[in-house]
Amino acid sequence: MPNLQLLNPKTHGQLRLRSTAEAAPHFLQVLAPEFQVAATCCPILFTKDPETGSFYAGAMFGFKPGENLLGSPEDRGGFHPLMLQREGFFMSERNIAIDRDHARFSEHEGEPLFNEAHEPGNSLRAIQRTLGEIHHGLERNKSFIAELTAHKLIEPIEISLKFENGERLTLQGLYTVSLDRLRDVDDAAALQLFRAGHLQLAYTMAASLKHIPRLAQLREQQQATRGQSRQA
Amino acid sequence: MVKPVRHIVIVGGGTAGWLTAGVIAAKHRARMGAEFSVTLVESPNTPIIGVGEGTWPTLRSTLARIGVSETEFFRKCEAAFKQGARFARWTTGEADDFYYHPLMLPQSFAQLNLVPHWLAREDGRSFCDAVCPQGRLCDDGLAPKTIATAEFEAVANYSYHLDAGKFAAFLQEHCCEKLGVRHVLADVQRVNLAPGGDILSLSTPQAGEIAGDLFVDCTGFKALLIGETLGVPFKECGDVLFCDRALAVQVPYASEATPIACQTISTAQSAGWIWDIGLPARRGVGHVYSSRHISDQQAERELRDYLGAAGRDLPVRKLVIPAGHRETFWKRNCVAVGLAAGFLEPLEASAIVLIELSAKFIAEQLPVCREVMDLIAARFNATTQYRWGRIIDFLKLHYVLTKRTDSAFWRDNLLPETIPDRLQDLLLLWSHQSPWFHDEFDRVEEVFPAASYQYVLYGMGFRTQVEPAALSGDAKNAERALRENAIQTERLRAGLPRHRELIRKIVEHGMQTV
Repeated sequence: MPNLQLLNPKTHGQLRLRSTAEAAPHFLQVLAPEFQVAATCCPILFTKDPETGSFYAGAMFGFKPGENLLGSPEDRGGFHPLMLQREGFFMSERNIAIDRDHARFSEHEGEPLFNEAHEPGNSLRAIQRTLGEIHHGLERNKSFIAELTAHKLIEPIEISLKFENGERLTLQGLYTVSLDRLRDVDDAAALQLFRAGHLQLAYTMAASLKHIPRLAQLREQQQATRGQSRQA
Repeated sequence: MVKPVRHIVIVGGGTAGWLTAGVIAAKHRARMGAEFSVTLVESPNTPIIGVGEGTWPTLRSTLARIGVSETEFFRKCEAAFKQGARFARWTTGEADDFYYHPLMLPQSFAQLNLVPHWLAREDGRSFCDAVCPQGRLCDDGLAPKTIATAEFEAVANYSYHLDAGKFAAFLQEHCCEKLGVRHVLADVQRVNLAPGGDILSLSTPQAGEIAGDLFVDCTGFKALLIGETLGVPFKECGDVLFCDRALAVQVPYASEATPIACQTISTAQSAGWIWDIGLPARRGVGHVYSSRHISDQQAERELRDYLGAAGRDLPVRKLVIPAGHRETFWKRNCVAVGLAAGFLEPLEASAIVLIELSAKFIAEQLPVCREVMDLIAARFNATTQYRWGRIIDFLKLHYVLTKRTDSAFWRDNLLPETIPDRLQDLLLLWSHQSPWFHDEFDRVEEVFPAASYQYVLYGMGFRTQVEPAALSGDAKNAERALRENAIQTERLRAGLPRHRELIRKIVEHGMQTV
């Protein structure tokens, strides 16, 4: 359970932000403003929120929980997901809340959140910007997904992978944009999708699927390296 | 010159009328308009009967085919999931006597008949639990899917319980707004016949004369067109199925959090049985009984006993339900669907599935012209006759397997002259070999598959002789299937939400279409 506290300089004046080695999960929510840069390094897919059944978009860094094939920012070609940047911070109405128990927070090391005047320091200002971008991005995702759903443009995609060591992985519960159906939308809908910026997001998602075989290859290489080090 | 069939007139605005209208209009969507029309004539003064709150999984594909949203269906029809039926006190009448007839097929059913393997083991596990997870899911009050499962898709096979009155209104809205069905509120005062005997038109005071090429009689027990007008006789089958009365009552839940049963509960009584169907806001409960065996007063007493304190002072509605069906269903240019075609006690929820199958047949084989209509009608009659016969056999099966002798009703059910010859032959056969694919049920769109017979037979303690030596070839596969079932059962029990919880989420968030 997170230990949520509303952030304020009186209580948290001594708090510092450590640079933790961010361990991204294998699938992380990604927002419309990030699609372009995310698509340079990894597949972007839809999946369903298990609580509500509604779609959300995510960047795939690995094929199963606990696996991250793009562990470092370099592996991700500079893609620094908003959802990782905001770790430990939450929006509560117009205020910022923190999970005081999160490993990012320390009273001894890292950059202070507040300056001596109890004003937000550089690190906190960056977080404020991030949370603003997330708020805006979530709205864009929502309207993007609503419009794709209305035009029935989301379709399931089954990904089956076979590795040299005989392991087989079948990924289920993933969805993408149907290019066939997209080609069939009428002119008015196409124009609307284009003007809203949704057409570009849709094609970006579709193009990002090329990264699936690349990730599989990365996985193969990483396993081979591990295998060699075990032998040695 | 040929006389094309272009204008379909359906009389009656209950479940049968609107489902038939929806299925025909959806199938012929591309040509709906001036050249082809579906009109539904509904009396503003006749209340719909609204029986049949239980359905078969076929309704999922029917609803998907006519293009409704399953989310909207749940929001507007007071719908709940149904994963089968739990039969209590049918075999011995004791308090612990029950079995399930689930909707999932036995494990590996297409490859392997598990019955003899299960029989040979005699390990005390019920047939249902040995071969299928669904009885356990019902015991646990779990839903057959999750909020992340797409509309009309299942994790465990399912159908619905629904409020028939709301369902008819829901279908009406969809048929009229999306499928172009013309809705005419008018009383049929006179049915006008052509010289050859075909129905020419209907005279109504509100909408004048309504002409058509094909008329579908969905007027319920009244059977205005097929019975009153065309004189097709009603063939009773009360000599096989004795129940002819029903007492129905709506029972509120103790609280908004009371679990909703995910199966029809059918509890045998002294001269009939009580249905118990869980909808989100209430239970629908009713006593179906034989008036030759008990009085209405006694039947009501048994119903009140069943309900206990929850049923005190609740009003009970009495229905007369003659068991039987028309001798023919399609005569000249008129075809009967729903109660106008016939009625059987709702023991296996056969009413709505028969409507769906009939509507599908009419829509798919709609005669192009009057000249070929009699040929299609003959096919329709043969198929429908066969279906009613099999349903009667299957319902009777529930009665002939009883070991109860505590009342005349149960004893009379075992009299050979009340058991159809075909069923007697099958029982003889099944005492030596269990029902499966190669058996009997070879028709396309059989109402009850061989699996249903297996669940009822072996749920009620019927025994088929087993030759252990004959099983050894398949022993490994059977072993694997039974093990797979145990694994699947635990996986589903761990992953499926509570029934009421899922309905709440569907109403709140909706389901995705993919």
